[in-house]
Amino acid sequence: MNLQGEIIKVLNHEITKGVTILDIFIFIIIVAVSVIIAKIVRLNVRRALKEKVPKTTLVTIEKIVYYTIIIFGFIIAIPYIGFSLSGLLVAGGIAGIVIGLATQTVISNLISGLFLMAEKPIQIGDGVSIGDIGGVVKDIRVLSTTIRTWDGIYVRIPNEKVFTSSIYNYNAHAARRFEYKIGIAYKSDADKAIEVIKKLLEEHPFILKEPAPQIFVEELADSSVNLTVKIWAPSSEWYGVKTEMLWKIKVALEKAGIEIPFPQLVIWKGGED
Amino acid sequence: MFGEYELNKEIKEDGIEIKIDGRGKVKNYYRKCKNEEVRKVVAAKEGKLFVVPVEPVNLPKIGIAEHLLIELEEPYIIEPFISDSFYLKFPVEIGVFLVDKKDVERIDIFTQTKQKYTLYGSPENGIICRWWKSAIYEDKPEVKKLEEGIMKVDIKNEYREWVEIKKLVFRAFDMKIFYNSHAYMHSYVTIHKKTMAETAFEGRKPKDMKKSIDIYEAKGIKKLEKKFVMEWGL
Repeated sequence: MNLQGEIIKVLNHEITKGVTILDIFIFIIIVAVSVIIAKIVRLNVRRALKEKVPKTTLVTIEKIVYYTIIIFGFIIAIPYIGFSLSGLLVAGGIAGIVIGLATQTVISNLISGLFLMAEKPIQIGDGVSIGDIGGVVKDIRVLSTTIRTWDGIYVRIPNEKVFTSSIYNYNAHAARRFEYKIGIAYKSDADKAIEVIKKLLEEHPFILKEPAPQIFVEELADSSVNLTVKIWAPSSEWYGVKTEMLWKIKVALEKAGIEIPFPQLVIWKGGED
Repeated sequence: MFGEYELNKEIKEDGIEIKIDGRGKVKNYYRKCKNEEVRKVVAAKEGKLFVVPVEPVNLPKIGIAEHLLIELEEPYIIEPFISDSFYLKFPVEIGVFLVDKKDVERIDIFTQTKQKYTLYGSPENGIICRWWKSAIYEDKPEVKKLEEGIMKVDIKNEYREWVEIKKLVFRAFDMKIFYNSHAYMHSYVTIHKKTMAETAFEGRKPKDMKKSIDIYEAKGIKKLEKKFVMEWGL
């Protein structure tokens, strides 16, 4: 009985004005419970959304859920250690303005990051050009997007810049088109050249059957009859196909006796008819 | 060619050569198909070699397509509210697997057929498919066994109008391939609209046939979707 009285006496002992040891215990318990609840909720959110949303979005959602619960617990607990919630809100408001001004860019990047995650103009692994930077998207974080440029350099772009720039996403669609301009000599048979190219393109697995390649005479130029070859390929393979086929077309045309001329000019001497 | 073999075997058929031999645990794997040769070293105490037909969407590069589009040589027109059956040919890709009690590992895939890809749907929303052209056969057609398989198609028109079909798209994920001397699949096509149909596969093993190794199941991928919806035209 005496011990119990002693414990109550100790717990009710005021450390500062109006704050007892018991209040401190309650504060710690509330914060600890909110952390435990936050961890449990985060785990369940992860399990529930693992298959449904991309990894980067999931990490963001997890963090928002986790810290919201902890902040909520903290707000409930803070009056126990003598802080008035209204005073805290006023102080928080003033601090918010100061921090807001100081972290304007960070907030802008954060909000842009959230919009990027919602709108999804780019995904991890996509080949993209953002402004004047081109490469493969390696990560989309809350504040920045990282890209490995085509020549292997790591670039971190603030999300605000990503959001306000023109974005070219080369993998957003299943297929994409590229084209070649090929000049053949005036004396060569353009129909035969088209047939040779068509046959060659038919042999390549990644030159799509549909939409079918288009090959046609585009221009009767100064030194050559210019053919245009338009080819559709899977977006993931187009670059390899593009680099491979031009030389193969040149070789196939030469093999078929079709000349690819140098620029030339016919000069007529004065006095000749 | 198709079947289960000990890890000491030489198989030669129609221009394809597969050989696995060696003393003790270290075996040498060799395969020749057309002008392509593959050599690998395998360390195995037990285990078997399986040579089986696999979903024909893996070559020349895995991951390009997950669907097979079969273009019909002649359009097929079906009356409203009737069912019919016919046969198609499909391209065969041959997978070589090492199998023991715990695991299945694919060590090689090859084909004798021409590989060609196409787009089903629009460039914005469509999908890349392995392309193949087949005639329609009333009865089981004769096939080059290591190049072509037989696909039975049970088709049902649930739409109120006549429907013309020029192509059929099948998801590799849903395919159930069986084999004896040749590869075989049994598919279902249900037409819902003039431009929309569903394709699915029969999973029951036909008599005198064996079930092939499913690449997706071998990789531990759970199969949930059972049907593919052709929503960008027939």
